[in-house]
Amino acid sequence: MSDRLLEVRDLRTTFRTVAGAVQAVGGVSFDLGANETLGIVGESGSGKTVLARTIMGLQPRTNVEVTGSVLLNGHEVVGASERAMRALWATEVAMVFQDPMTSLNPVMRIGKQIDETLRVRLGMDRHAARARAIELLTMVGIPSAESRYRAYPTEFSGGMRQRVVIAAALACSPKLLIADEPTTGLDVTIQAQILNLLDSLKQQLAMSVILITHDLGVVATRASRIIVMYAGRIVEMGDTRDVFYHHRMPYTRALLQSSPKVSNAPHTRLAVIPGRPPNLATAQVGCAFAPRCAYATEQCHTERPVLVEAAAPGHRFACWNPLPEVAEALR
Amino acid sequence: MSDERQPLLKVTDLEVTFGKGAHAVSAVAGVSFDVYEGETLGLVGESGCGKSTTGKALMKIVTPSSGTVELDGIDVTHQRGRALRRARTRMQMIFQDPISSLNPRRRVRDIVAEPLDAWKSVKGAERHQLVTDLLNQVGIDPEVYGDRYARQFSGGQCQRISIARALAMRPKLLICDEVVSALDVSVQAQILNLLEDLKDDYGLTLLFIAHDLAVVKNISDRVAVMYLGRICEIGPSDVLYEAPAHPYTKFLLGAALEADPDSAVAGAALEGEPPSPLNPPSGCRFRTRCPYATERCAVEEPELTEVAPGHQVACHFPFVAQ
Repeated sequence: MSDRLLEVRDLRTTFRTVAGAVQAVGGVSFDLGANETLGIVGESGSGKTVLARTIMGLQPRTNVEVTGSVLLNGHEVVGASERAMRALWATEVAMVFQDPMTSLNPVMRIGKQIDETLRVRLGMDRHAARARAIELLTMVGIPSAESRYRAYPTEFSGGMRQRVVIAAALACSPKLLIADEPTTGLDVTIQAQILNLLDSLKQQLAMSVILITHDLGVVATRASRIIVMYAGRIVEMGDTRDVFYHHRMPYTRALLQSSPKVSNAPHTRLAVIPGRPPNLATAQVGCAFAPRCAYATEQCHTERPVLVEAAAPGHRFACWNPLPEVAEALR
Repeated sequence: MSDERQPLLKVTDLEVTFGKGAHAVSAVAGVSFDVYEGETLGLVGESGCGKSTTGKALMKIVTPSSGTVELDGIDVTHQRGRALRRARTRMQMIFQDPISSLNPRRRVRDIVAEPLDAWKSVKGAERHQLVTDLLNQVGIDPEVYGDRYARQFSGGQCQRISIARALAMRPKLLICDEVVSALDVSVQAQILNLLEDLKDDYGLTLLFIAHDLAVVKNISDRVAVMYLGRICEIGPSDVLYEAPAHPYTKFLLGAALEADPDSAVAGAALEGEPPSPLNPPSGCRFRTRCPYATERCAVEEPELTEVAPGHQVACHFPFVAQ
């Protein structure tokens, strides 16, 4: 298929630490089409951020082992030199991180930080770069961009800083934007503004977006497909509606049921997942979720489940004792 | 119904101002509310609205510049020294970051026993038994974990230990400031359920401060919404969430994300950002972002007025069913 922008195959990222090898991403495969929004959901330590950084080719060369393949618009990322990656960054793929303050240089005017990309990557001269930077700042909704161009990051609020980071990421019109928890730490009304902005920019620039979050609410109405990660692996993936309403993996259900909903009555008892996610430094046999799973059997503790096809096309889950397939939506 | 009950906590015209003169920031600008015995009052708002400062002012961690705080009919606002310390045993506060709330180099048992030691209320075997009971209550196995150091625990476990410490002196009021916002959803659910259980077991009254609307609705009997240092709406949680009367509440709820693909995508998002509390707008503080604002809103500051029993709103043009 030619419209595949990103092909990830059996990707593994292993950190060598004093406590032993920690496999943060343990064999992840998925595709991403053009102009698609993919949500990656998981709790802290599930490997979602490491996965994103590996796709970006941002893992350090020392003490990290990456195997498998990441084909980004035909370019192999795994094993690529930093020089080769530089050619892909900004034009093919760009990333927005959780904390906008640490992504921006605090002692550099924000305009310059956007200019830099344009001048280095696209070879624009100073005047053209400045004009384009102001255009980008206007596009992401910075009021009076012309005068704000000379402002420093500390003069902006958290929401405005995230807009600046998005403007810088979009400077060279990347085909893929990876947003890692872009709204965590922002207020709800600002979060809604940023998510709306990402949606409209995606349409406007015809790019694909990977939206990484711990908050199921963020991806529920924004992503067309969802990947649920647990302990470094994909445990369920599929169209958003299939994952939310026809999930087969008990972890997906537990995650959905343990988040409080605005539509619930006060004092609704929340479903609880007992225990904690596993320590990735110790070797895992069987299903990583088995110790916390109410449906676990002998097999779950000894044999690792692989992703199998569910009824709907593209819907896959990794579980030996899946929830029954139902025609009616599970809620 | 709530009118007949005696409030456990009565807050009247509470103001907190930081700085002086031209640089004075009024973080809390005249807040009044009651918390009745045995209920949970949720306090929601965006960052900078003064919700945490309100919580801290109740504990006198920051000093209120005016107004009164009455706990059980006793004015604690002007208490100092031993009287204030005694008052604080009846109200306790738990904070957002569970890890930095605990001394990493002390053992769990000693952390939980700290309030008991400070008051020298119990010693020896009795102290040991009390700490064991508290740890069991919050789901930390005292045999296994009692002698470990705080640094060896995860965020969720640290929050459990903080809760055990806060309960050691058997407080009547527990102020929870964003206690679950740093936790993963599965751990968050564990802590929320634990708080509900402890509330019953210990006969606690809760003031639950948080920014997450779903979490607040889940735990609260009544909810107060704050904006820029003022309460703009207060009412029973189901009423407030189903029929918000203040435009800000309506926008805030509209922006909340539901983990459901079929949930209505929020209508128009609220434009702009909250103005600086250094220089708040005249009249209604929300008027600069409110699509319904008129000239009257710029001139006259709306007072909290009752629109239904127990449901108060500070707006000149509230959404009220006719």
